[in-house]
Amino acid sequence: MKEIQRVSPVVFKSTPVKTKTRDNWEVVMEYSEEGDGPFLVDLSHRPRFDLQDSNLAAQKPFGIEIPETPGICVLEKGVLANRMNGTQVSLYNLDSDDTAVMPDESGYTDVTESTMCVALIGKNVFSICEKLTALDFMDPQRKAPFLFQGPFSHVPCQIVTLSKEGDISGLVLTCSRGYGRDMIHSILHAGEEFKLTPAGENRFTNWIKEL
Amino acid sequence: MALTITCPICGKRNGYEFKFGGEEKGPRPEEKDLTPEAWCDYVHMNKCVAGVQQEWWFHKDGCGSWFPIYRDTTTNLEQEDQKATNQEGKNDEQV
Repeated sequence: MKEIQRVSPVVFKSTPVKTKTRDNWEVVMEYSEEGDGPFLVDLSHRPRFDLQDSNLAAQKPFGIEIPETPGICVLEKGVLANRMNGTQVSLYNLDSDDTAVMPDESGYTDVTESTMCVALIGKNVFSICEKLTALDFMDPQRKAPFLFQGPFSHVPCQIVTLSKEGDISGLVLTCSRGYGRDMIHSILHAGEEFKLTPAGENRFTNWIKEL
Repeated sequence: MALTITCPICGKRNGYEFKFGGEEKGPRPEEKDLTPEAWCDYVHMNKCVAGVQQEWWFHKDGCGSWFPIYRDTTTNLEQEDQKATNQEGKNDEQV
């Protein structure tokens, strides 16, 4: 039987130097000429789920306590849980060593294939974001990690700011898969003046370990 | 446009992120003895007040929730909770 092939909606023009096949995804670990940052990393292959339940307080997806307030996130055991509203939480597995399987319970939806996911990390990431959205990532009242549900380059997105600390700033952004190509185009265009370059998954893995 | 809207989930945001959902008209009328004229009035007729009205908005670019706010139609500014002009005698026509 032929193996399925899973294709990321994100395509960079840079040349991959190191790739890995994981769970039928072709994952680029490193690109040539990645530079000094900031970096744009494709994470569309990382498993992502939505969980909906009228009593989320009773749920513990992947053993994680779900935050009570919408907009608050927790990053534990490599899984990012983002409270969206009274009944929904989105879950991103950001641990590259682990391929999370969707829990076999009602209420879960696998959104890995239907959404794109990228990380924007390194210096000046919020200067790039300022060119694409009116959302205030530097709001002192918000402590990382926190979730914004709002327009980014006019596209409804979920944006999780993981760090606001200078050179190790970074966020993870997801939106519908169909916007992938244009979203990448607009982010790279906005980041040109800050020397934003595509980077492989290794760059993200090393960055998240520093948090 | 100076309109900002306070979403109960996301907080205060630019009005461009939202879609207008119409005036708040009270509960849907009972179907028993409902005449086509009364239903048509409920669906299509608006008060269009010059003043504060309660209305529905949809956070289309954000969390996707529907919620009511009070807005002064003469200044296009969101108001704190208060009695809206379009709520006075809201059910008069259904009596």
